[in-house]
Amino acid sequence: MEDCSMHLTAQDLTLVRDGWSLAADGIFCEGVHIVTGPVGSGKTTLASALAGIFAPASGQIVRNGITRLTLSMQFPEYHVTGFLVRDEVRSWDLPVEETLNTAGLGGRGDAKTLTLSRGELKRLHLTCLFRGAWDAVILDEPFAGLDCREKHRVCAAIEEKNHPVTIIFTHEQAVLPAADFIWEIVDHALVCRGSVPDAIPAWTGAPRYLTHALAAGACPENIRLRDAEEALCRMHA
Amino acid sequence: MIRAHLLQHRLLDIESLRIGGGHTAIIGPNGSGKTTFLKLCAGIERPAQGDLTLSGRAPRDVTVGWVGEVPDNNFVFRTVADEVASGLWFQRRPAETIESTVERALSETGTTHLRARSTHTLSGGEKVLVACAAAIALSPEVLILDETDTHLDRKAADTLETVIQGRPAPAILQCTQDMDTASRADRVVYFEDGRPRYIGTPEEVFCYLQETEMYPPLWRIAACI
Repeated sequence: MEDCSMHLTAQDLTLVRDGWSLAADGIFCEGVHIVTGPVGSGKTTLASALAGIFAPASGQIVRNGITRLTLSMQFPEYHVTGFLVRDEVRSWDLPVEETLNTAGLGGRGDAKTLTLSRGELKRLHLTCLFRGAWDAVILDEPFAGLDCREKHRVCAAIEEKNHPVTIIFTHEQAVLPAADFIWEIVDHALVCRGSVPDAIPAWTGAPRYLTHALAAGACPENIRLRDAEEALCRMHA
Repeated sequence: MIRAHLLQHRLLDIESLRIGGGHTAIIGPNGSGKTTFLKLCAGIERPAQGDLTLSGRAPRDVTVGWVGEVPDNNFVFRTVADEVASGLWFQRRPAETIESTVERALSETGTTHLRARSTHTLSGGEKVLVACAAAIALSPEVLILDETDTHLDRKAADTLETVIQGRPAPAILQCTQDMDTASRADRVVYFEDGRPRYIGTPEEVFCYLQETEMYPPLWRIAACI
Protein backbone atom coordinates (compact mmCIF):
# COMPACT_ATOMS: atom_id res chain seq x y z
CA MET A 1 0.00 0.00 0.00
CA GLU A 2 1.23 3.48 -0.81
CA ASP A 3 2.76 5.81 1.80
CA CYS A 4 0.43 8.22 3.51
CA SER A 5 0.77 10.77 6.28
CA MET A 6 -2.54 10.17 8.06
CA HIS A 7 -3.38 6.54 8.61
CA LEU A 8 -4.75 3.88 10.90
CA THR A 9 -2.53 0.82 11.08
CA ALA A 10 -3.23 -2.72 12.25
CA GLN A 11 0.26 -3.84 13.23
CA ASP A 12 0.71 -7.64 13.51
CA LEU A 13 -2.71 -7.79 15.08
CA THR A 14 -4.23 -10.98 16.45
CA LEU A 15 -7.82 -10.90 17.63
CA VAL A 16 -9.04 -13.84 19.69
CA ARG A 17 -12.53 -14.65 20.93
CA ASP A 18 -14.05 -17.99 22.03
CA GLY A 19 -11.57 -20.17 20.17
CA TRP A 20 -11.80 -18.01 17.05
CA SER A 21 -8.99 -15.79 15.82
CA LEU A 22 -8.24 -13.22 13.15
CA ALA A 23 -4.88 -11.91 11.96
CA ALA A 24 -4.65 -8.39 10.57
CA ASP A 25 -1.67 -6.49 9.33
CA GLY A 26 -2.20 -3.46 7.12
CA ILE A 27 -2.33 0.28 6.73
CA PHE A 28 -5.58 2.17 6.21
CA CYS A 29 -4.45 5.34 4.43
CA GLU A 30 -6.51 8.36 3.53
CA GLY A 31 -9.42 7.37 1.31
CA VAL A 32 -12.44 5.11 1.30
CA HIS A 33 -11.77 1.49 2.24
CA ILE A 34 -14.27 -1.34 1.70
CA VAL A 35 -13.85 -4.43 3.88
CA THR A 36 -15.89 -7.56 3.11
CA GLY A 37 -15.91 -11.10 4.45
CA PRO A 38 -18.28 -13.96 5.17
CA VAL A 39 -20.77 -14.01 8.00
CA GLY A 40 -18.87 -14.63 11.25
CA SER A 41 -15.46 -13.88 9.75
CA GLY A 42 -14.78 -11.14 12.29
CA LYS A 43 -15.66 -7.88 10.54
CA THR A 44 -17.37 -6.39 13.57
CA THR A 45 -14.57 -7.54 15.87
CA LEU A 46 -11.96 -5.98 13.59
CA ALA A 47 -13.99 -2.77 13.36
CA SER A 48 -14.18 -2.69 17.17
CA ALA A 49 -10.43 -3.32 17.46
CA LEU A 50 -9.60 -0.54 14.99
CA ALA A 51 -11.84 1.76 17.01
CA GLY A 52 -10.04 0.80 20.20
CA ILE A 53 -12.93 -0.89 22.01
CA PHE A 54 -11.77 -4.49 21.54
CA ALA A 55 -8.36 -5.36 22.95
CA PRO A 56 -6.14 -7.45 20.64
CA ALA A 57 -4.46 -10.59 21.98
CA SER A 58 -1.25 -9.37 20.36
CA GLY A 59 -0.07 -6.55 18.12
CA GLN A 60 -1.31 -2.99 18.19
CA ILE A 61 -3.38 -0.32 16.49
CA VAL A 62 -1.36 2.74 15.51
CA ARG A 63 -3.06 6.06 14.84
CA ASN A 64 -0.85 8.32 12.80
CA GLY A 65 -2.21 11.86 12.60
CA ILE A 66 -5.64 10.63 13.69
CA THR A 67 -6.97 12.20 16.85
CA ARG A 68 -10.72 12.15 16.23
CA LEU A 69 -12.03 8.69 15.38
CA THR A 70 -15.54 7.31 15.56
CA LEU A 71 -17.24 3.94 15.11
CA SER A 72 -20.76 3.53 13.78
CA MET A 73 -22.06 0.24 15.12
CA GLN A 74 -24.20 -2.13 13.12
CA PHE A 75 -27.29 -1.64 15.27
CA PRO A 76 -28.18 2.05 15.69
CA GLU A 77 -30.02 1.39 18.98
CA TYR A 78 -26.63 0.95 20.63
CA HIS A 79 -25.87 4.63 20.01
CA VAL A 80 -29.08 6.09 21.39
CA THR A 81 -28.70 8.33 24.43
CA GLY A 82 -31.66 10.72 24.03
CA PHE A 83 -35.21 9.78 25.07
CA LEU A 84 -36.73 12.05 22.43
CA VAL A 85 -35.45 12.46 18.90
CA ARG A 86 -34.57 16.12 19.59
CA ASP A 87 -32.57 15.04 22.69
CA GLU A 88 -30.70 12.54 20.55
CA VAL A 89 -29.74 15.25 18.02
CA ARG A 90 -28.70 17.63 20.82
CA SER A 91 -26.47 14.91 22.28
CA TRP A 92 -24.39 15.28 19.11
CA ASP A 93 -24.31 19.06 19.67
CA LEU A 94 -26.16 19.68 16.41
CA PRO A 95 -29.07 22.01 15.49
CA VAL A 96 -32.27 20.00 15.85
CA GLU A 97 -34.54 21.07 13.00
CA GLU A 98 -31.81 21.41 10.39
CA THR A 99 -30.40 18.00 11.23
CA LEU A 100 -33.83 16.35 11.22
CA ASN A 101 -34.65 17.88 7.85
CA THR A 102 -31.38 16.54 6.46
CA ALA A 103 -32.26 13.10 7.81
CA GLY A 104 -35.72 13.28 6.23
CA LEU A 105 -37.27 13.33 9.70
CA GLY A 106 -38.54 16.92 9.79
CA GLY A 107 -41.20 17.46 12.46
CA ARG A 108 -40.35 14.24 14.33
CA GLY A 109 -38.34 15.92 17.10
CA ASP A 110 -40.87 15.10 19.80
CA ALA A 111 -41.10 11.41 18.90
CA LYS A 112 -39.51 8.91 21.28
CA THR A 113 -36.22 7.93 19.72
CA LEU A 114 -36.77 4.20 20.03
CA THR A 115 -40.18 4.42 18.33
CA LEU A 116 -38.48 5.31 15.04
CA SER A 117 -38.26 2.42 12.61
CA ARG A 118 -34.88 0.72 12.38
CA GLY A 119 -34.18 2.44 9.05
CA GLU A 120 -35.22 5.87 10.36
CA LEU A 121 -33.00 5.43 13.40
CA LYS A 122 -30.06 4.45 11.21
CA ARG A 123 -30.71 7.51 9.03
CA LEU A 124 -30.74 9.78 12.07
CA HIS A 125 -27.58 8.25 13.50
CA LEU A 126 -25.60 8.45 10.25
CA THR A 127 -26.75 12.01 9.54
CA CYS A 128 -25.48 13.08 12.97
CA LEU A 129 -22.26 11.14 12.63
CA PHE A 130 -21.38 12.48 9.18
CA ARG A 131 -21.67 16.06 10.42
CA GLY A 132 -18.83 15.54 12.88
CA ALA A 133 -15.25 16.61 12.18
CA TRP A 134 -13.65 13.17 12.30
CA ASP A 135 -10.21 12.20 11.08
CA ALA A 136 -11.30 8.58 10.72
CA VAL A 137 -14.75 7.07 10.45
CA ILE A 138 -15.32 3.33 10.86
CA LEU A 139 -18.71 2.19 9.61
CA ASP A 140 -19.96 -1.30 10.50
CA GLU A 141 -22.74 -2.24 8.06
CA PRO A 142 -23.83 1.35 7.40
CA PHE A 143 -26.37 0.28 4.76
CA ALA A 144 -28.16 -2.35 6.87
CA GLY A 145 -31.80 -1.46 7.32
CA LEU A 146 -31.75 1.51 4.94
CA ASP A 147 -33.98 1.73 1.89
CA CYS A 148 -32.37 2.15 -1.52
CA ARG A 149 -32.82 5.92 -1.62
CA GLU A 150 -31.17 6.36 1.75
CA LYS A 151 -28.31 4.05 0.79
CA HIS A 152 -27.59 6.40 -2.09
CA ARG A 153 -27.65 9.39 0.27
CA VAL A 154 -25.15 7.65 2.56
CA CYS A 155 -22.92 6.92 -0.44
CA ALA A 156 -23.09 10.57 -1.51
CA ALA A 157 -22.07 11.65 2.02
CA ILE A 158 -19.14 9.22 2.01
CA GLU A 159 -18.04 10.36 -1.44
CA GLU A 160 -17.85 13.97 -0.23
CA LYS A 161 -14.76 12.76 1.67
CA ASN A 162 -15.20 15.12 4.59
CA HIS A 163 -13.37 12.58 6.74
CA PRO A 164 -9.83 11.67 5.59
CA VAL A 165 -10.03 7.94 6.44
CA THR A 166 -13.30 6.06 5.96
CA ILE A 167 -13.41 2.31 6.56
CA ILE A 168 -16.63 0.51 5.62
CA PHE A 169 -17.35 -3.04 6.75
CA THR A 170 -20.26 -4.24 4.64
CA HIS A 171 -22.24 -7.04 3.02
CA GLU A 172 -24.09 -4.62 0.76
CA GLN A 173 -24.86 -6.08 -2.67
CA ALA A 174 -26.61 -3.24 -4.47
CA VAL A 175 -25.53 0.26 -3.45
CA LEU A 176 -21.90 1.07 -2.70
CA PRO A 177 -19.90 4.32 -2.79
CA ALA A 178 -16.88 4.90 -4.99
CA ALA A 179 -13.97 3.33 -3.12
CA ASP A 180 -10.20 3.70 -3.11
CA PHE A 181 -9.14 0.39 -1.54
CA ILE A 182 -10.62 -3.09 -1.15
CA TRP A 183 -9.93 -5.50 1.69
CA GLU A 184 -11.29 -8.95 2.43
CA ILE A 185 -11.23 -11.32 5.38
CA VAL A 186 -10.21 -14.73 4.06
CA ASP A 187 -9.34 -17.79 6.15
CA HIS A 188 -9.02 -15.87 9.42
CA ALA A 189 -6.79 -13.16 7.94
CA LEU A 190 -7.29 -9.65 6.62
CA VAL A 191 -6.13 -9.43 3.00
CA CYS A 192 -5.62 -6.21 1.05
CA ARG A 193 -6.80 -6.63 -2.56
CA GLY A 194 -5.23 -3.28 -3.44
CA SER A 195 -6.46 -0.03 -4.88
CA VAL A 196 -9.48 0.43 -7.13
CA PRO A 197 -9.90 -0.34 -10.02
CA ASP A 198 -7.01 -2.85 -10.16
CA ALA A 199 -8.32 -4.69 -7.11
CA ILE A 200 -11.80 -5.33 -8.53
CA PRO A 201 -11.15 -8.59 -10.45
CA ALA A 202 -9.56 -10.22 -7.37
CA TRP A 203 -12.41 -9.19 -5.07
CA THR A 204 -14.21 -12.44 -4.18
CA GLY A 205 -16.85 -10.61 -2.14
CA ALA A 206 -17.80 -8.26 -4.98
CA PRO A 207 -21.52 -7.54 -5.40
CA ARG A 208 -23.37 -9.57 -8.00
CA TYR A 209 -23.79 -6.68 -10.45
CA LEU A 210 -20.02 -6.25 -10.53
CA THR A 211 -19.26 -9.96 -11.05
CA HIS A 212 -21.88 -10.08 -13.83
CA ALA A 213 -20.23 -7.09 -15.52
CA LEU A 214 -16.76 -8.62 -15.14
CA ALA A 215 -18.01 -11.92 -16.53
CA ALA A 216 -19.32 -10.04 -19.57
CA GLY A 217 -15.81 -8.66 -20.15
CA ALA A 218 -16.33 -5.17 -18.77
CA CYS A 219 -13.67 -3.28 -16.81
CA PRO A 220 -15.49 -0.98 -14.34
CA GLU A 221 -13.52 2.04 -13.14
CA ASN A 222 -15.00 1.75 -9.67
CA ILE A 223 -17.37 -0.45 -7.71
CA ARG A 224 -20.73 1.34 -8.04
CA LEU A 225 -23.62 0.02 -10.12
CA ARG A 226 -23.26 2.94 -12.50
CA ASP A 227 -19.56 2.13 -12.97
CA ALA A 228 -20.56 -1.39 -14.05
CA GLU A 229 -23.26 0.00 -16.37
CA GLU A 230 -20.89 2.52 -17.91
CA ALA A 231 -18.22 -0.13 -18.45
CA LEU A 232 -20.73 -2.34 -20.25
CA CYS A 233 -21.92 0.60 -22.36
CA ARG A 234 -18.30 1.39 -23.33
CA MET A 235 -17.94 -2.17 -24.59
CA HIS A 236 -20.89 -1.69 -26.95
CA ALA A 237 -19.89 1.83 -28.03
CA MET B 1 -54.37 -16.54 1.88
CA ILE B 2 -53.83 -13.16 3.59
CA ARG B 3 -56.72 -10.73 3.67
CA ALA B 4 -56.87 -7.28 5.21
CA HIS B 5 -60.07 -5.24 5.32
CA LEU B 6 -60.43 -1.67 6.59
CA LEU B 7 -57.23 -2.19 8.53
CA GLN B 8 -55.89 0.69 10.60
CA HIS B 9 -52.95 0.29 12.92
CA ARG B 10 -50.25 2.84 13.73
CA LEU B 11 -49.44 4.36 10.33
CA LEU B 12 -51.10 1.52 8.38
CA ASP B 13 -54.31 2.42 6.58
CA ILE B 14 -55.34 -0.42 4.27
CA GLU B 15 -58.81 -0.44 2.78
CA SER B 16 -58.52 -3.85 1.16
CA LEU B 17 -55.60 -6.19 0.46
CA ARG B 18 -55.40 -9.80 -0.71
CA ILE B 19 -52.12 -11.70 -0.95
CA GLY B 20 -52.13 -15.25 -2.31
CA GLY B 21 -49.82 -18.12 -1.36
CA GLY B 22 -46.24 -18.51 -2.50
CA HIS B 23 -43.32 -16.17 -1.99
CA THR B 24 -44.24 -12.50 -1.57
CA ALA B 25 -41.61 -9.78 -1.30
CA ILE B 26 -42.61 -6.72 0.73
CA ILE B 27 -40.66 -3.63 -0.30
CA GLY B 28 -40.82 0.11 0.25
CA PRO B 29 -39.09 3.08 1.88
CA ASN B 30 -38.10 3.14 5.55
CA GLY B 31 -41.06 3.97 7.75
CA SER B 32 -43.67 2.97 5.15
CA GLY B 33 -45.30 0.36 7.42
CA LYS B 34 -43.67 -2.86 6.19
CA THR B 35 -42.58 -4.17 9.60
CA THR B 36 -45.86 -3.11 11.22
CA PHE B 37 -47.76 -5.06 8.57
CA LEU B 38 -45.57 -8.15 9.11
CA LYS B 39 -46.05 -7.95 12.89
CA LEU B 40 -49.82 -7.96 12.39
CA CYS B 41 -49.53 -10.97 10.06
CA ALA B 42 -47.42 -12.77 12.68
CA GLY B 43 -49.88 -11.98 15.45
CA ILE B 44 -47.19 -10.11 17.38
CA GLU B 45 -49.52 -7.10 17.38
CA ARG B 46 -53.30 -6.92 16.99
CA PRO B 47 -54.90 -4.36 14.66
CA ALA B 48 -56.33 -1.27 16.30
CA GLN B 49 -59.18 -1.39 13.78
CA GLY B 50 -60.30 -3.66 10.96
CA ASP B 51 -59.57 -7.28 10.12
CA LEU B 52 -56.55 -9.29 9.11
CA THR B 53 -56.82 -13.03 8.52
CA LEU B 54 -54.50 -15.79 7.31
CA SER B 55 -56.43 -18.55 5.52
CA GLY B 56 -59.57 -17.24 7.15
CA ARG B 57 -58.16 -17.44 10.68
CA ALA B 58 -56.76 -14.95 13.14
CA PRO B 59 -52.94 -14.80 12.89
CA ARG B 60 -52.55 -16.13 16.45
CA ASP B 61 -54.42 -19.31 15.43
CA VAL B 62 -51.94 -20.02 12.65
CA THR B 63 -48.45 -21.55 12.98
CA VAL B 64 -46.21 -18.68 11.96
CA GLY B 65 -42.43 -18.76 11.66
CA TRP B 66 -41.01 -15.31 12.42
CA VAL B 67 -37.47 -14.17 11.72
CA GLY B 68 -36.78 -10.57 12.59
CA GLU B 69 -33.87 -8.36 11.57
CA VAL B 70 -32.43 -8.57 15.09
CA PRO B 71 -32.95 -12.18 16.19
CA ASP B 72 -31.20 -11.58 19.55
CA ASN B 73 -34.45 -10.04 20.72
CA ASN B 74 -36.19 -13.42 20.40
CA PHE B 75 -33.43 -15.78 21.55
CA VAL B 76 -34.35 -17.49 24.81
CA PHE B 77 -31.98 -20.43 25.17
CA ARG B 78 -28.23 -20.60 25.56
CA THR B 79 -27.11 -22.95 22.79
CA VAL B 80 -28.01 -22.93 19.12
CA ALA B 81 -29.42 -26.49 19.23
CA ASP B 82 -31.71 -25.63 22.16
CA GLU B 83 -32.85 -22.43 20.49
CA VAL B 84 -33.78 -24.26 17.29
CA ALA B 85 -35.59 -26.96 19.32
CA SER B 86 -37.44 -24.51 21.57
CA GLY B 87 -40.55 -24.04 19.43
CA LEU B 88 -40.92 -27.82 19.12
CA TRP B 89 -40.61 -28.25 22.90
CA PHE B 90 -43.36 -25.69 23.41
CA GLN B 91 -45.50 -27.70 20.99
CA ARG B 92 -44.77 -30.86 23.09
CA ARG B 93 -43.44 -32.86 20.13
CA PRO B 94 -41.85 -36.28 20.85
CA ALA B 95 -38.15 -36.09 21.71
CA GLU B 96 -37.00 -38.28 18.79
CA THR B 97 -38.95 -36.12 16.33
CA ILE B 98 -37.45 -32.97 17.79
CA GLU B 99 -33.90 -34.24 17.41
CA SER B 100 -34.27 -35.18 13.75
CA THR B 101 -36.21 -32.00 12.93
CA VAL B 102 -33.55 -29.82 14.54
CA GLU B 103 -30.77 -31.59 12.64
CA ARG B 104 -32.63 -31.11 9.36
CA ALA B 105 -33.27 -27.41 10.04
CA LEU B 106 -29.61 -26.84 10.96
CA SER B 107 -28.50 -28.67 7.82
CA GLU B 108 -30.86 -26.73 5.54
CA THR B 109 -29.61 -23.40 6.87
CA GLY B 110 -25.94 -24.39 6.81
CA THR B 111 -25.61 -23.97 10.57
CA THR B 112 -24.87 -27.55 11.70
CA HIS B 113 -21.37 -26.50 12.78
CA LEU B 114 -22.89 -23.94 15.15
CA ARG B 115 -25.00 -26.52 17.04
CA ALA B 116 -23.11 -26.32 20.36
CA ARG B 117 -22.30 -22.60 20.20
CA SER B 118 -23.77 -20.10 22.61
CA THR B 119 -26.31 -17.92 20.79
CA HIS B 120 -24.69 -14.83 22.33
CA THR B 121 -21.35 -15.47 20.62
CA LEU B 122 -22.78 -15.68 17.10
CA SER B 123 -22.18 -12.96 14.53
CA GLY B 124 -25.15 -10.94 13.30
CA GLY B 125 -25.45 -13.05 10.16
CA GLU B 126 -25.13 -16.34 12.03
CA LYS B 127 -27.92 -15.26 14.38
CA VAL B 128 -30.19 -14.69 11.39
CA LEU B 129 -29.51 -18.16 9.99
CA VAL B 130 -30.10 -19.78 13.40
CA ALA B 131 -33.36 -17.85 13.83
CA CYS B 132 -34.35 -19.04 10.37
CA ALA B 133 -33.57 -22.65 11.38
CA ALA B 134 -35.76 -22.24 14.49
CA ALA B 135 -38.59 -20.85 12.36
CA ILE B 136 -38.56 -23.54 9.68
CA ALA B 137 -38.25 -26.32 12.30
CA LEU B 138 -41.87 -25.50 13.16
CA SER B 139 -43.03 -26.28 9.58
CA PRO B 140 -44.95 -23.01 9.65
CA GLU B 141 -48.00 -22.33 7.54
CA VAL B 142 -46.67 -18.83 7.04
CA LEU B 143 -42.97 -17.96 7.16
CA ILE B 144 -42.28 -14.27 7.78
CA LEU B 145 -38.86 -12.71 7.33
CA ASP B 146 -38.33 -9.06 8.23
CA GLU B 147 -35.19 -7.82 6.45
CA THR B 148 -33.36 -10.94 7.55
CA ASP B 149 -31.01 -10.67 4.58
CA THR B 150 -29.69 -7.27 5.61
CA HIS B 151 -26.88 -8.74 7.76
CA LEU B 152 -25.97 -11.61 5.43
CA ASP B 153 -23.09 -11.92 3.02
CA ARG B 154 -23.74 -13.04 -0.52
CA LYS B 155 -23.21 -16.75 0.18
CA ALA B 156 -25.34 -16.74 3.33
CA ALA B 157 -28.05 -14.77 1.51
CA ASP B 158 -28.00 -17.41 -1.23
CA THR B 159 -28.34 -20.12 1.44
CA LEU B 160 -31.30 -18.29 2.93
CA GLU B 161 -32.91 -17.94 -0.49
CA THR B 162 -32.43 -21.65 -1.19
CA VAL B 163 -34.05 -22.46 2.14
CA ILE B 164 -36.97 -20.16 1.38
CA GLN B 165 -37.49 -21.47 -2.15
CA GLY B 166 -37.37 -25.07 -0.90
CA ARG B 167 -39.93 -24.55 1.86
CA PRO B 168 -43.29 -26.26 1.70
CA ALA B 169 -44.77 -23.31 3.67
CA PRO B 170 -47.99 -22.26 1.91
CA ALA B 171 -47.01 -18.61 2.23
CA ILE B 172 -43.76 -16.75 2.68
CA LEU B 173 -43.69 -13.01 3.37
CA GLN B 174 -40.25 -11.53 3.03
CA CYS B 175 -39.51 -7.88 3.66
CA THR B 176 -36.26 -6.99 1.93
CA GLN B 177 -34.24 -4.00 0.77
CA ASP B 178 -32.45 -6.21 -1.78
CA MET B 179 -34.37 -5.61 -4.98
CA ASP B 180 -32.61 -8.48 -6.77
CA THR B 181 -34.06 -10.81 -4.12
CA ALA B 182 -37.48 -9.19 -4.51
CA SER B 183 -37.29 -9.64 -8.28
CA ARG B 184 -37.17 -13.43 -7.81
CA ALA B 185 -40.33 -13.62 -5.65
CA ASP B 186 -43.69 -14.77 -7.00
CA ARG B 187 -45.18 -11.38 -6.28
CA VAL B 188 -44.12 -7.99 -4.91
CA VAL B 189 -46.05 -5.58 -2.69
CA TYR B 190 -44.68 -2.02 -2.60
CA PHE B 191 -45.63 -0.07 0.53
CA GLU B 192 -45.66 3.70 0.74
CA ASP B 193 -47.03 5.91 3.54
CA GLY B 194 -48.74 3.00 5.28
CA ARG B 195 -50.52 1.72 2.19
CA PRO B 196 -49.76 -0.99 -0.39
CA ARG B 197 -49.30 1.16 -3.48
CA TYR B 198 -48.36 -1.49 -6.06
CA ILE B 199 -49.10 -5.23 -6.01
CA GLY B 200 -48.26 -7.68 -8.76
CA THR B 201 -45.56 -9.78 -10.32
CA PRO B 202 -42.01 -8.42 -10.03
CA GLU B 203 -42.20 -7.32 -13.68
CA GLU B 204 -45.43 -5.40 -13.07
CA VAL B 205 -44.31 -3.68 -9.86
CA PHE B 206 -40.77 -2.80 -10.92
CA CYS B 207 -42.13 -1.36 -14.14
CA TYR B 208 -43.46 1.50 -11.95
CA LEU B 209 -40.09 1.82 -10.19
CA GLN B 210 -37.85 1.76 -13.25
CA GLU B 211 -36.73 5.38 -12.86
CA THR B 212 -35.99 5.01 -9.15
CA GLU B 213 -33.18 3.55 -7.04
CA MET B 214 -35.46 0.60 -6.27
CA TYR B 215 -35.14 -1.03 -9.68
CA PRO B 216 -33.22 -4.35 -9.37
CA PRO B 217 -29.48 -3.83 -10.12
CA LEU B 218 -29.17 -7.13 -11.97
CA TRP B 219 -31.99 -6.12 -14.30
CA ARG B 220 -30.11 -2.91 -15.10
CA ILE B 221 -26.94 -4.89 -15.80
CA ALA B 222 -28.83 -7.43 -17.93
CA ALA B 223 -30.19 -4.57 -20.02
CA CYS B 224 -26.62 -3.42 -20.75
CA ILE B 225 -25.30 -6.83 -21.81
